[in-house]
Amino acid sequence: VKLGKTTRKEKFLLLLTLAGACCLAFIIRLFSVLRFETMIHEYDPYFNYRSTEMMVENGFFPFHNWFDAKSWYPLGRGVGSSVYPGLMWTAGSIYHFLRAFQFKVDVRQVCVFIGPLFSAFSVLATYALTWECSKGNNGAALFASVFIALVPGYISRSVAGSYDNESIAIFCMILTFALWLRAVRTGSMAAATTAALAYLYMVSSWGGYIFVTNLIPLHMLGLILTRRFTHRAYVAYSTYYVIGTLLSMQISFVNFKPTESADHMPALGIFGLIQLITFYNYLKDKVTSEGLRTIIGCSLLGSVGLVVVGATLTGKIGALSGRLAFLFSTKGAIPIIASVAEHQPTSWAHYYYDLHILMLLFPLGVYRCFTDLHEGTLFAMMYGVTTLYFTGIMVRIVLVLAPAACVLGGLALSGHYYAFLPNLSAPDEKEAAAIEKKKDRKKAGVDGSYPFKSELAAVAVFIPVLVVCSFVSHSIYMAREHYSDPTIVLRAGNGKLYDDFREAYKWISENTEENAKVLSWWDYGYHLSSMANRTVYVDGNTWNNTHISRVGQILASDEKTSYEMMRELDVNYVLVIFGGKVGYPGDDINKFIWMIRIAGSTPTGAHISQKQYMTKYGEYRVDSKAPKKMRNSLMYKLCYHGFGALMTHPRAPLGYDLSQNQEVGDKHITLEHLEEAYTTENWIVRVYRVKPPANKFSG
Amino acid sequence: MKLLLLLLAASAAADRVLVLVDNMSIRESHSIFFKSITDRGHSITFKNADEGSLQLIKFGELQYENLILFAPSADEFGGTITAAEIARFVDQGGNVLLAGAGSNVGAAVRDVAADNGFEFADQLIDHVNYDSVLDDGTHTTVVASAKSQLMEAPLIVGDRSKLGPILYSGGALVAAPNNRLRLDVFKASSTAYSHDPTKPIKDYPSAVGRQAVLVSAVQARNNARLVLTASLHLFSNQFLSATVNKEGTKPSPSGNKAFVDSLAKWVLKETGVLRVKSVDHHKVGEKEPPREYTIMEDVDYKLEVEELKGNKWVPFDGKDVQLEFVRIDPFVRTTLKNKNGVLSARFKLPDVYGVYKFLVDYRRVGYTHLLDVQQVSVRPLWHTQYERFIRSAFPYYASSFSMMASLVVFSFVFLYHKSDPVVAQAKKTN
Repeated sequence: VKLGKTTRKEKFLLLLTLAGACCLAFIIRLFSVLRFETMIHEYDPYFNYRSTEMMVENGFFPFHNWFDAKSWYPLGRGVGSSVYPGLMWTAGSIYHFLRAFQFKVDVRQVCVFIGPLFSAFSVLATYALTWECSKGNNGAALFASVFIALVPGYISRSVAGSYDNESIAIFCMILTFALWLRAVRTGSMAAATTAALAYLYMVSSWGGYIFVTNLIPLHMLGLILTRRFTHRAYVAYSTYYVIGTLLSMQISFVNFKPTESADHMPALGIFGLIQLITFYNYLKDKVTSEGLRTIIGCSLLGSVGLVVVGATLTGKIGALSGRLAFLFSTKGAIPIIASVAEHQPTSWAHYYYDLHILMLLFPLGVYRCFTDLHEGTLFAMMYGVTTLYFTGIMVRIVLVLAPAACVLGGLALSGHYYAFLPNLSAPDEKEAAAIEKKKDRKKAGVDGSYPFKSELAAVAVFIPVLVVCSFVSHSIYMAREHYSDPTIVLRAGNGKLYDDFREAYKWISENTEENAKVLSWWDYGYHLSSMANRTVYVDGNTWNNTHISRVGQILASDEKTSYEMMRELDVNYVLVIFGGKVGYPGDDINKFIWMIRIAGSTPTGAHISQKQYMTKYGEYRVDSKAPKKMRNSLMYKLCYHGFGALMTHPRAPLGYDLSQNQEVGDKHITLEHLEEAYTTENWIVRVYRVKPPANKFSG
Repeated sequence: MKLLLLLLAASAAADRVLVLVDNMSIRESHSIFFKSITDRGHSITFKNADEGSLQLIKFGELQYENLILFAPSADEFGGTITAAEIARFVDQGGNVLLAGAGSNVGAAVRDVAADNGFEFADQLIDHVNYDSVLDDGTHTTVVASAKSQLMEAPLIVGDRSKLGPILYSGGALVAAPNNRLRLDVFKASSTAYSHDPTKPIKDYPSAVGRQAVLVSAVQARNNARLVLTASLHLFSNQFLSATVNKEGTKPSPSGNKAFVDSLAKWVLKETGVLRVKSVDHHKVGEKEPPREYTIMEDVDYKLEVEELKGNKWVPFDGKDVQLEFVRIDPFVRTTLKNKNGVLSARFKLPDVYGVYKFLVDYRRVGYTHLLDVQQVSVRPLWHTQYERFIRSAFPYYASSFSMMASLVVFSFVFLYHKSDPVVAQAKKTN
């Protein structure tokens, strides 16, 4: 990367580097396919996959109006109106596009490779964003695009098979930002309209669009406060806001939220504010009297204040939505939001794992922004700092932070090289003179030169190269070892694979009646409806807290009580995940404490509190010290049924739970209303059949 | 459901009855009762209760549809028959009529009774209502009034107002209170108690007054029927053809014949058997059920029910069958109109989407449990089904159209109307 104006050769180099970065971004995400197979990962992707299949089979409008009677039994779910359809649209279009050219691909393959493909696109978008942020600094842009290709925080959600909203939404987000900055720079309505279109794509693909919705007004506010508010910005924002909002309202899940929910109000507020400011500026030109101007200004502000207060009081503006409110105050949050692993605060190690050297380059990048403050750098700074703050609360925001860190990292490194690269080549010409100078006149050197200038420069240039090399190897390591596991197939430390999930789902799909209803904790709902094709009660679309709480109550109550509830809900099978035999820590016993909390969070379950399930010292145990309530709970019984006679470890007693590291307290569990239907090879998935009521009197 | 229909169909045909007896003399002493059964088309096999080759279920198939246990003193049954096998027999749809006695009830019979939540108490004694001729002085040949002691259940006991007094001699049944499926068809009078007549009374009797059950009927959840009584004498020729002589009343023929006949008809599934012939639901004006309904649609529901009468399936004439449209709770509950066995209803689906069930859950004393569940999903409106032009939105339409018009006018004026330079001049000087 050299300085100066781009020549044709440099352009070629630039394109080559970008293409290389794109390929790199694609290839590094294929570990999961190489190590496992072209399969869909985790939980939500299974829903997306199922929806995509539905859309490809039945067409766009049936998908838009899809009422899914197989989930949330017996409520059902209007999927078309409660989903961000961008992902399915994208996959569907790619599928049809390839089919049109006679590439006989399967929907699943398209879905699997969407993540890597859009990561490659993200490389280009990041290039554009950094280019805009740095006012055309190709070096910074190239650095940033290489970073985004490799940053583990982004790899985590975009490996092949991770067919989730985020895998395309991050691209949309970066693209929206890039186009937004372009609109601000040019002040053209056309550019702002393209930004609004990108915003529509973003809104259609991920609930995280709310960050974009709020960051852009924040950027405007920053511009106003730093007196950088120009007519260009005014045109850009007015156009972007009006068109973007109207477009976003076409997504049926978003609907009228932009005019009602508090999440969207900052955007509206800034829109109003810039109108007022522009009007005020206009008045300033026309009205000469100082006093009149003040009066007009005050009355304008007052009326705006009245409108806001009035709207809030009349309930036109609701409270912040659950997840967003959670970002500002973790206290008193609904347990269902707090229970999700990715809603936990980020640990410092996580920053290191996901961002590596970008964490160090981040402050340097912010410093570079300050040294050359303008619209672009202001945006980069705001983007970085806000996301950094939110990652402290919710670990999943690291994904949003990653591009910001890449942009800032790119700015930092390029600034660094711009500072030191000239020094590296300077001494070549007057090497001898420089050495002489050093020896003869040591006291001089206020003229910008200093001792060992070129050596220092060499070191300064070399160290980042080393660091970037280690970043690359770290990223490859993370992609290979940590982010390529599909979760659906478990990998033990010794390399052994546990394919119990698919075994169980296959069993269910082949051995149960077609309209059988399977009750499980909501994590496994998408799996069951996608892989086992059975009706489920709750799934990852946690839209009905009461219903989930009901399922929690069933699992937390004793067998007799839960049997009554299960009869009411027509449950045929119950599925639990049990990791005691192989020491799988993500099992239902570990999640049980959350089920209890969620069960107790509604009025019907108010009698359930987590204290009853803990020992009097507040310990969560499953051994003989566990309280009676715990040992009588359906979850405990289903997990440990028949476990007391099993040897899990040669040096442990019978019935030793390797996940809890305790000897199970109840070794002879008998079930009255349920019977074991199937247990997988490693006992990870256990399926129970709910028996019909006794035919006649029994005891 | 299909299986159930098959079972019902099987029971409609003449079927096999196994009668287990203590000794073959019962065949003679109860011949009137048995004859009435064979007269109605059943084929009876008599076996000694301890015969070695007895078998109720062979290779998972029922060998008999009905079992009559007239062997009160059997301590164990022969062959493979045990209380557990009889329970399996019932679970597979077999019907059982069990008679005990006042004394010497065998362990096997007690086991079967206990399995169904009953215990045998001692001999029933009534010092007020006894037959003055047949009784031997112990007051154990009890005369019961049909009207006050029989349950109001015409399908099981017949028309109790027309029944003569019933002669009873035997023990009593004590029912477990949590046995919710039982019907106490025949209870002792309030003056009766249960005790060994030969021994002095030292303890409180095990069953006293109306808590002593004489005949109890159970219909299992699979519609298999059981009748338990503590008196084998109830069915004997002697009682069936006896004339009842009670102090203070005129002698009259006993009602035993009619009573045990209707009991036998009920337990052998000749009466009170309902079946669903067909069920159909669709939108009003259509013929086939849709893949999914849409909220607020009008729906026709039709259920054809038949009743077994005299070995023939005839249209059921019940007027009190209700249909529920259930999603956890019933959203619609309506009484079905009966037109010659075709029960129908027309109603509007609720304005709530979800997975619903058309549920007919008809439970009446003496009838088999009529249950029909049809699961349907009710979807929200399609995006094209919403109302297009809402009246209350007219101001908004007006405002947007006027806005468009004024924009055109404004643009026109702005583009093609040159302002007077003089005015501009004046403004500048201002």
